[in-house]
Amino acid sequence: MAAPRSTHRRTPPSPRRAAPRRKAAHRGGASAAPATAPSSASAKLGGAPLPAALAARVARLAIRDAGHGFDPFGLNAAWVAWALVVFGPLYERYFRVLSHGAANIPASGPVILAANHSGTLPFDGLMLWLDVVRHSEPPRVPRAVADLFVPGLPFVGNAFSRWGVVGGSRGNVRDLLESGECLMIFPEGTVGIGKPFSQRYKLQQWRVGHAELAIRHGAVVVPVGIVGAEEQMPQLARLPVRAFGAPYLPIPATLFPLPVRYHIHYGEPIPIGRDYKAAQADDPAVVRQAANRVKAAVASLLRKGLAERKGIFT
Amino acid sequence: MRSVLVTGATTPIGEALVRRLLANKRVKSILAVAAEPKGRTAFRNAPSRLSYFPLDLTRQRNVRELLFGPARDLGVDAVVHTAQHRRATVDGPRVHALNVDAARELLMLCEEHPTIRRFVFRSYAEVYSVKAEVPVLIQEDHPLEMSPSAPQWIRDRVEADLTVCARMGLVPLHIVVLRAAECFACDVGSQLLDYLGSRVCFRPLGFDPMLNLISVDDLVKGLVRALATPAQGVFNLPGADTLPLSKAIELAGRRAIPAPGLLLKPLYALRARTIGTDFRYDVNRWRFHFSGVLDGRRARTELGYVPEHPIDWSRVPRM
Repeated sequence: MAAPRSTHRRTPPSPRRAAPRRKAAHRGGASAAPATAPSSASAKLGGAPLPAALAARVARLAIRDAGHGFDPFGLNAAWVAWALVVFGPLYERYFRVLSHGAANIPASGPVILAANHSGTLPFDGLMLWLDVVRHSEPPRVPRAVADLFVPGLPFVGNAFSRWGVVGGSRGNVRDLLESGECLMIFPEGTVGIGKPFSQRYKLQQWRVGHAELAIRHGAVVVPVGIVGAEEQMPQLARLPVRAFGAPYLPIPATLFPLPVRYHIHYGEPIPIGRDYKAAQADDPAVVRQAANRVKAAVASLLRKGLAERKGIFT
Repeated sequence: MRSVLVTGATTPIGEALVRRLLANKRVKSILAVAAEPKGRTAFRNAPSRLSYFPLDLTRQRNVRELLFGPARDLGVDAVVHTAQHRRATVDGPRVHALNVDAARELLMLCEEHPTIRRFVFRSYAEVYSVKAEVPVLIQEDHPLEMSPSAPQWIRDRVEADLTVCARMGLVPLHIVVLRAAECFACDVGSQLLDYLGSRVCFRPLGFDPMLNLISVDDLVKGLVRALATPAQGVFNLPGADTLPLSKAIELAGRRAIPAPGLLLKPLYALRARTIGTDFRYDVNRWRFHFSGVLDGRRARTELGYVPEHPIDWSRVPRM
């Protein structure tokens, strides 16, 4: 059987890649080794033609297999592998994602990644998901918590569930955190993704659910600042049209997202689960205070990221 | 030790339960009840510990005579009620009488009974609402399917379940309701098995939900655990197979054809009318769109139930 062909171009050697992990800014394809995965690994991963290093990462993913290679929510390693293949070029070549501080993601236990949300279309979620799968150690699949209408979307809802996305119902997130999974939450919600261009990098309404969950389930919160996405697709207007449960129809200035460069900054973990008692999850003032800590950390990462970047596209 | 009355004893589940109880020497006597005459059952040459009584559960007088006659004489202290109408394509008051009224009457008689102390009711995962906005992992406090447009097959099961639950804690009787995942076996009323009977299976375009299925062995294990432990309340009984609908179709060796959901109801109604199959798309509509997987943590901790018998997919019969 012929070895599967890699779709990834070799990335030139970079001094950054040799630097210690915590200090490194991981370039999109940095973790991809030149060799391709052995054929047996490809078969195990649904035949996805991944470079060996990425295939090895997927093979190391800890997925709660409920019996047929799927976890109870539908997450499947082969779908993750194919997502890395299909969206790899978007991550590596289009948005040219630079990852900063992925070592801040805890290796195990319940974690909530709380990030800013923007860009009209949720490419920021996709890039963050890819970045965590590619750079967390040991590799983890972040479970994106989506609005409740998302699982009801045909095709999209199905694909999302295979990649680990769950509807944001209390029962779903409770189970995931109790199982020690890594959640990915955008506290700004749809208000954030639909923010006008003039409001870019200004955090909109900051929901408190992530803080409440962290307190209740003893989770740590890793603040994430995503720089770049806020300029990818300036929004001209939104039509009050509800389709498949989506709250509005966006009218962007461009048909496709602009090839901005993404910088994903992971901050130091905030031990909210340790700093508060579980019973305090029922105290709105405490929950708001904890959420504000996260909001301040994300805002700080955004300021740092904006100060460090050289330009929107570079 | 314990003497047990089993209703629906001639179904594959009832039969397997009776055999499992017979294998347990600590069970003093078993009283098996079903609609069929004894000569047509597998209990023709039963050992002396097993007594079989043909009985129409919808006739209260007969049930009373059984409970306050042979059951009292045998010292029956536990009842396992598994009898429910299996065909989804049959509706009407007679079906409702068996599914709901018989359960209510049996429960009320058990409450008055001098020896019966435990009532185990086999309920169904289909009583739960499955929608995009509710959790995928279904715990016992999950919303129930209360839609007025739900087919009688579902409404009966919800009503029977709630009827039994409503008596919990009000009477000295220990009541256990086991909401089991769909039992994937012949002659137990499995909608999915009937659906997979065709070479080509149409499924809703754009959706591939997660399902959970239980084998007869695991379901019987759950019923036995419910008899053996003092726990009371509602328990989910998940099976060992959690998989997407497309995977189930693939494992059964069938071909899946995604089709718009609007076409599936008339298509399967036509199939039922022409071939006489039992699968109803309206019964399965939501779970063919959205994932719903039973969370068995409560049964694991309180009943000691862990599913361990996966489905043998090589034995899925074809029409």
